[in-house]
Formats: sequence, C-alpha cells, structure tokens
Amino acid sequence: MAEASFEMALDRMFAETPAFADAELFALRCEERMDRGWTTRRLLIGSLGAVGGLIGGGQLLGSGLWGRINVLSQESGHALNRGLESVLPQGFAPGGLAISAEAIWMSAALAVVAVGLALTRLVREI
Amino acid sequence: MADSIKSPASAHDLDLVALAATGGRAAFGELVRRHSSPVRALLRRMGADPATADDVAQDAFLAAFEQISDFRGEGTFQAWVKRIAARLYVKRWRREARRDALNDAPEAELAATPGEGGQADRIDLDEALKSLSEAERLCVSMCYGAGLSHAEAALALNTPLGTVKSHVKRGLDKLRQRLAPGREFGPAESKVNG
Repeated sequence: MAEASFEMALDRMFAETPAFADAELFALRCEERMDRGWTTRRLLIGSLGAVGGLIGGGQLLGSGLWGRINVLSQESGHALNRGLESVLPQGFAPGGLAISAEAIWMSAALAVVAVGLALTRLVREI
Repeated sequence: MADSIKSPASAHDLDLVALAATGGRAAFGELVRRHSSPVRALLRRMGADPATADDVAQDAFLAAFEQISDFRGEGTFQAWVKRIAARLYVKRWRREARRDALNDAPEAELAATPGEGGQADRIDLDEALKSLSEAERLCVSMCYGAGLSHAEAALALNTPLGTVKSHVKRGLDKLRQRLAPGREFGPAESKVNG
C-alpha cells in the first residue's frame, strides 16, 4: 500500500466486496420481477389486441362487408353440402347437427387461432 | 457462439449478455447471481440503507435487462450495471429532497481518532466511509466505486462540477486520514478527471 497511490488502493478497496449470503434469494427476486414484467406486458398487449380486434370487427360489420361474406359463405356452404351429399349415405347427419355457413366460418377462424397458438408455443420452445 | 452454451454457470459474461439480448432470462439470472453483491455493496457505500440498496439494485438489473442491447462490451458487465445503479440511486436520492446536503454539507466529525501505522488493515472502507458527510460519501462512491467521471457525477447529481470536485477532494482527504494515516500519496484529483 505504501508504494501504490492512495487512489489505486481506493479503487481496489471499492472493488473488493464480500459475497452476500442472500445473493441467490436476491437473484430469484429479480427473476420474479422480470417474470411479473413479462406477464403484465403480455396482458397489456393481449388487452390492446382484443380492443383493437373489437374496433376492427365493428368497422368491418359497418362497412357492409358482412353481407358480401354472407353471400360467399352461403355459396360455399351449399357447395360443401352438395359435396357431402355426394359422399355420405342418404339421410346421414353427423350428431344430428345441421352444418350452416356460419358454423363453417367460425370453425375455420377457431382453427386459425389454434394454429397461431401452437406456432407461438413452438417458437417459444425453440 | 452464445447458441452453443449449455450451462449458464460456466459461460463467460459476454456470452451470457449475448443470450440475454435474445430474451434469455436464465442467462440474465446467472449474470444477476454473479454480480449482485458488488452492486448492492456499492449502493450501501453510497449511503443507501440495506432495503433501499436492494430495491435500487433490483431496479438496476431490470433496467440493464431492458437495455442489454446497448451494452457493447467496452467495459465489464459489472461496471456497466454499477453505473446504472449509481444513477438510479442518485435519482431516488434527489427525489427524496436530500440534495440540499450537496450544497450545505456539514463537516462530518471523524468517528474515531486515526491510530498508528497498520490500522489500515483493521479499519475497512465501509467503516471509513461513515466518517464522510452524505455528499462526500455519495460523490466519492460515484467516482471511485461506480467509475463515473466528475462530470458524469455532476450531471447525475444536477450539481456544479466544482461542487462535486470539492466533495471528492474533501472525502478523499478524510479517507486517506482514516485508512492510511501518516502515509504519503499522490494528489487526490489525479485519477478521475472532469
């Protein structure tokens, strides 16, 4: 210490710190806070997405697009029914449910959502 | 490089930083494990009570995680987080309206009379820092513990550069008196330049 300058000694003293006994606990708390931050962020993004989706949906309904889609879906529903009638035996109705055009579109939308969720999960796992 | 790391515990800091930059929270957790003690100790040396020090240290690590892509590896990761932590603590300190202490710092009395040669081995830095005024302790710790220049410390404290320099000088004189009485050292302002 006699040869070294005081400031260098001070630098060294500041650099020398004992390991805190609760360092592991501190790290866990930090990780918890990081997780909390991510959860909050995900919730925020999800809520904003839902609100945005509702607004967008409202705009689409108001623009008369629904009528055009309805016509399209009825045509596709009829086509699907004709296809099913040609394949299935006469008088067969699965589960006794009639297949409407809306049900087909809703099923397709749910399938897209399910694929999206699966892809998100897959990306996170990778 | 970072992709090939199997165990965070054995990885180099820079590899962990690279992993954390891609969202790797486990990698960042390992960085926290490695460097939390020095950061917490610095904050306590700056004058924070243990609870506040831990609070600010957590904030500093979270801020570091948020801005990890800004870390270019020019210094050590620990030094980088220390600087973030020091600035965050100063911000909190200023919020608590204690900044008057900078301009109206009472002369702290030495807690104990300096002893004979060899006492430096017994009086550690933490004890010696207690003999400094709040402002001196803050300025010395920012410049020597967190590695900020006088100008950076003045900016963080929103205080004139000259005020910071004089606090550092007085603080160093007191520390020299406590830690190494009777020994000759170089001038106080030689290392950290404004």
